[in-house]
Amino acid sequence: MDTTGKFANAAARVMATELVYRSCLTLDALDFPAYLALCDTRYHYLITAYSPEIRKEMTWLEHNMAGMQLLFKNLPKHNSDHARLSRHACVYTIDFTDELNANVVSGLQVYRTTLDGGATELFAVGKMYDKVTLGGDVPLLVERHIKLDTRMLGIGFHIPF
Amino acid sequence: MAKTGDQWHEKPNFPDTHFVDTRIYTEEDLFREEQEKIFNKTWIIACHESEVPNAFDYRTFHHPGGAELIIVRGEDMKVRSFYNICPHRGNTLLYDPVGNAKRITCIFHAWSFDTKGACTDISRAKQGYQERFCTADASLREVRADTGYGGFVWVNIDDAAPSLAEFIGPSMDLLNEQLGMDLEVFHYHKAVVNTNYKLWHDTNSEFYHDYMHYFNRATGMLQPGYFDRKYTGYPNGHASVGSMSIKYDAYDGSAERGVGWPGLAPGGWILIDIFPGMTFNLRTSVLRMDTAIPLGPNKLIIEFRGLGLKSDTPAQRAERIRDHNVIWGPFGRNLHEDLLGVHGQGKAMAERTDSKWVIHGREENMTIHDEGGMRHFYAEWGRRMGRKPFDPYGDNKVGDSKSNHNKASSPLAAE
Repeated sequence: MDTTGKFANAAARVMATELVYRSCLTLDALDFPAYLALCDTRYHYLITAYSPEIRKEMTWLEHNMAGMQLLFKNLPKHNSDHARLSRHACVYTIDFTDELNANVVSGLQVYRTTLDGGATELFAVGKMYDKVTLGGDVPLLVERHIKLDTRMLGIGFHIPF
Repeated sequence: MAKTGDQWHEKPNFPDTHFVDTRIYTEEDLFREEQEKIFNKTWIIACHESEVPNAFDYRTFHHPGGAELIIVRGEDMKVRSFYNICPHRGNTLLYDPVGNAKRITCIFHAWSFDTKGACTDISRAKQGYQERFCTADASLREVRADTGYGGFVWVNIDDAAPSLAEFIGPSMDLLNEQLGMDLEVFHYHKAVVNTNYKLWHDTNSEFYHDYMHYFNRATGMLQPGYFDRKYTGYPNGHASVGSMSIKYDAYDGSAERGVGWPGLAPGGWILIDIFPGMTFNLRTSVLRMDTAIPLGPNKLIIEFRGLGLKSDTPAQRAERIRDHNVIWGPFGRNLHEDLLGVHGQGKAMAERTDSKWVIHGREENMTIHDEGGMRHFYAEWGRRMGRKPFDPYGDNKVGDSKSNHNKASSPLAAE
């Protein structure tokens, strides 16, 4: 993309922002191929949470691109909660490390809506720390680190946030 | 052919030890009785010693009998437990789940206590109480505490209960060697589920439900040795399940585990259930500890801990964490399925749903799909409660049994 024009920085910010939002929309829609298409081959995905109880940072999920692909591929073999999740991201900051790469920090709220009756409850809150690249044909996620504030996730979930 | 309403309520065609009345999962009065007769009489895991490593470190714990507890390491490095309640006006003493406090001071009126439970200061005591009341009258209520079996801190509300060693007996022998070194908690989370605590412990007491887990079917059930694993029952309702060699690479995306556990064969897996709701689950590279803390007949907190060796290198610890998360983390393949299962049981057997029986009838010479582990648990439950699990209120007309089984009503009939 052209990042040299007068409005290049603003355009790049829009692209980075939309990338974050599209990643939420594709996962909400359970469109895993579309989600993975937003990810660079170097993709690294991480969910962590700090436990005050044991005074430790905990890693709850960590995968590279191949791991994410297998996670999605194996889903039909497992028994899972079929309630739908709605990921609400709010992009707070975008800091370009160079013209084509940026660190994006977003707030994240995840809502769970039951299939029976459609009741919606807040499932989790946290922040997303993304590394994005705008150097290719389309913007891509290189890294996503979700730091959860919520540590009580009820019966858990098989699909990443 | 489907059953009529009458047929639905008929006693199952099994010995009385091989099924339970679902009211033991739903009735408030039975739950209150369980708190008094079971939870307040048995040793319960409150935390791990690595959670209070330094003098004056504390943890709080909601005891399943109902009491709020403090677990604190004293200056003498001994771990003690007290009610987390100020003897003055009943305020919570320590609000945070963890911390370090040389003095435990109530925020309300600044009464202070040391880590041995003695009251060290009452604000303006002389002016208000003169000679009628002093710090010696205001000690905390101490709860028996002991540390062992992998460095866990156990508590017992009953001042007269048998010792922890007597309570555990030989049930932990299978893990003596494996738990002989210093351990460290690297994972902790709680899940609140609308289900009965016994149903969670049942899930940890039977492997027939491996049909629910694709991961376990691929890596275990389809592998040699799986059907040779045996249950062993011990006094006080505890039980163990022997090991096998899990073939982790049989699950697409999983690999044979690089780090093992001292004293455990490669791919090994030993499970020990401690009555009434704790499970030691050592699976190749990670020890998982579950503690069931009921909040009501159909509401349960489960505390999940993952532990490695204190001597782990960063690389070893990272591998244990990865191994843990594949199946046991909040996003793991198996834990979600297990919780989904007991959530479904809680929903189906809730009060007024007209559920009636749960069957524990499988007999396979106490091997892995035998349901003797659950029968063993309910025999102890019945002994402590003074009630029959299959007829807790004595109104089930169980005398007219249609059972065609000729075996004695032993919970471990196939032992």
